[in-house]
Amino acid sequence: MSAPLSDVLDRDATEGHPALEIADVSVSFGGINAVSDVSLTADNGMITGLIGPNGAGKTTTFNVITGLQPPTHGRVFIAGQDVSKLPPHKRARLGVARTFQRLEVFGSLTAYENLLAAAEFHRSWSGDSTPPKDVARAALDRVGLGSVAEARVDSLPTGLARLVELGRALATKPRLLLLDEVGSGLSHEEVHVLGDLMLDLAKEGIAILLVEHDVELVMRVCSRIHVLDFGLLIASGSREEIQQNPAVQAAYLGVEEG
Amino acid sequence: MTLFLGYLVVGLVTGCVYALIASGLVVTYTTTGIFNFAHGAIAMASAYVFWQLWQGWHIPTIISVLLVLLIFAPLFGLIVERVLMRPLDGKPVDVPIVVTLGLLLLLVGLINLIFDQTKGRHLPQFFNGAGFTVAGLLVTYEQLIAALSIVVVAIALRILFRQTRIGIALRAVVDNSDLLAMAGGRPVRVKQLAWAMSCSLAAFAGILLAGINALNTINLTLLVVDGYAAAIIGRLRNLPTAIGGALAIAIGQELLFDYLPQWGFLTRIQGQIPILVLFLVLIILPQDRLRTASFTGAVPPRVASLRSSVAVGAALIAACAIVAPFLSDGNLRNSSKGFAIAIIVLSLILLTGYGGMASLCQMTFAGLGAFAMGHVASGASWLGVLAAIGLAGAVGALVALPTLRLRGLYLALATFAFAAFMDAAFFGESLGTGGSLNIGRVKIPGIPTTSDQAFFIVTCVAFVLCSIGVLALRRGPFGRKLVAANDSPAACATLGVSVNSTKLIAFTIAAALAGLGGALYGGSPGQVDANDFPYLFSLTILLLARVGGVNTATGAFLGAASLTLFTIFVAPHNPTVFGHVLRLAQLQYVLTGLAAISVGRDPNGIAGRFTDVIERVRSAGRPQPQFMTAAGSPAAVFMSEEGEGLVSTAQ
Repeated sequence: MSAPLSDVLDRDATEGHPALEIADVSVSFGGINAVSDVSLTADNGMITGLIGPNGAGKTTTFNVITGLQPPTHGRVFIAGQDVSKLPPHKRARLGVARTFQRLEVFGSLTAYENLLAAAEFHRSWSGDSTPPKDVARAALDRVGLGSVAEARVDSLPTGLARLVELGRALATKPRLLLLDEVGSGLSHEEVHVLGDLMLDLAKEGIAILLVEHDVELVMRVCSRIHVLDFGLLIASGSREEIQQNPAVQAAYLGVEEG
Repeated sequence: MTLFLGYLVVGLVTGCVYALIASGLVVTYTTTGIFNFAHGAIAMASAYVFWQLWQGWHIPTIISVLLVLLIFAPLFGLIVERVLMRPLDGKPVDVPIVVTLGLLLLLVGLINLIFDQTKGRHLPQFFNGAGFTVAGLLVTYEQLIAALSIVVVAIALRILFRQTRIGIALRAVVDNSDLLAMAGGRPVRVKQLAWAMSCSLAAFAGILLAGINALNTINLTLLVVDGYAAAIIGRLRNLPTAIGGALAIAIGQELLFDYLPQWGFLTRIQGQIPILVLFLVLIILPQDRLRTASFTGAVPPRVASLRSSVAVGAALIAACAIVAPFLSDGNLRNSSKGFAIAIIVLSLILLTGYGGMASLCQMTFAGLGAFAMGHVASGASWLGVLAAIGLAGAVGALVALPTLRLRGLYLALATFAFAAFMDAAFFGESLGTGGSLNIGRVKIPGIPTTSDQAFFIVTCVAFVLCSIGVLALRRGPFGRKLVAANDSPAACATLGVSVNSTKLIAFTIAAALAGLGGALYGGSPGQVDANDFPYLFSLTILLLARVGGVNTATGAFLGAASLTLFTIFVAPHNPTVFGHVLRLAQLQYVLTGLAAISVGRDPNGIAGRFTDVIERVRSAGRPQPQFMTAAGSPAAVFMSEEGEGLVSTAQ
């Protein structure tokens, strides 16, 4: 499954472009700056964390990357290509897939059909000749939803519906995966299994940008972390750097300074 | 100059009436978030009540007016609020559309039932048409009152909304009822007041309109719809903009009417200008600021497999073949018409049930199909059938193109406007008032389709084939994409597909299917006239689909079958009660309306209950699914805690 992917990734790697780069992105809603001049990157084969308190602008940033929210200014590059002017579906065709913090499942389809639809979409624009059914089955097993394959998704609990979104994203064989609190609603053990899955995906070469409130998960899987606070990027760095950064502690982790 | 001033005054007065209508709509929308499709029907019903008091029982004018505006209409509004609207709190957003459409049909049906429409009724002019002369121009007191009233209403509403405690509560209640209640407000009182006021405003507009035009349930209801455009210009919230829009529409309409050359087509559409404006404004206005609703309907049962849909279809054909010899020719014709209607309802199963798009113009497409069938190759050939499918599909695509981005209420309104426009501008003219168009039955080698019995079987087979086709479409990639596009357009976009082409194709197929239904619908009696495809019938089709089961082909059959049984057993009877001839055919609208209103109490409607029972019977017969098989996977662990969520169906 990952053989053709890694060819592409090797080429990208030789070109030296990060899977994702956003430059000076700002979004304001009626005079309030949700995101201010944020620049960040996510690299192939790595899990990059994007953390920050509620309302810091994480989901807005995801919406800008996927094209659902036009930025006030700033640019977005996918594997070096400027996609700032492209509509969402054209960006997805470059290998970007995401999950949503506020669920966007196909509620009246079954879990399997959700993934099958995504695989069919992928085939329609990628020319990939793998039968969609096989792709959907494989993705379903990967996220561990085999036992609820035939259940309508709007009858699933939120935690499982989030996994449906992850499986759906995987069914499009993405090169860049944006995960928006995909672990919330899952138990401690389930989050651990999810972390393993993310690490596996990264090993296959996929770039993952992870928005997550579970600090333990973030610290376990992320190689680099960006921290947003009130729409401003207040820190970027390795796990250790972020943990020691006083600004981050004050804004986000710093309960003791409360 | 005097002539111009005269036109201006007429336009201004009409504009004031439109403005009254728009204010009524704005009052309920801003306070309850509900767009009242039945506003026009309430105006119409009030005008009839007024006629009865004033002309029927000879109660003095001013007392009749006050009785209607201050007693009947507000009371009606209170009842509507209590019985119909209050249960809508927290219901899916498409339910208010269904309920208010149901109320519209109910009122039209009831008034038709009570007031024999074959008798002409009109209201005399107030003050016997007396007035005063300004610059050589006679302005009647009635016109003066109409113009002044909107000024009074506008100022009164402005003061009420901005200055008074209850007005602030009125505006707060729509944002958050619960919060208002916690702050000591009384949201229920506020909503009651809003409905009472809105109904009074509707009644006032209805009385004024009935004074200008003859009393006729369908026309009067449509005239009020002319005012909807103004409300939409004000985005259902902004009263001054709505009033300005109302005046602009009415004066523009009047001047165009008087100064444009009287060419055939232009003359026909001049009366439709407000409806055209409604359509255009819906298309042009940015949607994000409008409340949207997807039209999903009942929780659907499992999609039937190819094998089971073929089996059920074959059984249905066999059953029809068995009963056919026992039916009279008249009943055979009614039943084949029933299958034609079932095909039209089926088009909504695809469009609305799967795609979440409401269409209030399916009978228009059916009418176009009948029109094409009747005009091509002497009306009885396969070419005619193809033309019916092609014409309806092509017009469907044309309607869909500009309306693709509309959802829920706004798509419903746009298709409603299209149906109303076609009623007056096309069917009324091309088929001719009182005229009719002969439509043949398609010739099939070896089958004597001229016999009613054979044609009954032919329509049955056509319905079965269409059903199998629609179900197959739903099970395939196109159906998944259509459902996905309805459930989450955002997710579709981030998965690399644009949903517009999918929606366009679905709308086109649905229109073509309705066109096929229309060709068969006309072939059954052999001819159609302009009254066969009224916009009201399109409402009936949508409500039948929604009530009968918008997600299943069986629902289409049940909806159409109930209508057919009604046509055969109830409609022909006209019993006399207390000296009144009751035309029971009108019960069709009354019953459909009541069924639609029941959706407000239980959004899954009758079909949902039906499905529920079937699912329960099914799951009783087989072992419960195991959620604990793949131990260690996140799903398995989670399901052990919340497995309940899967087993229970529609809550």
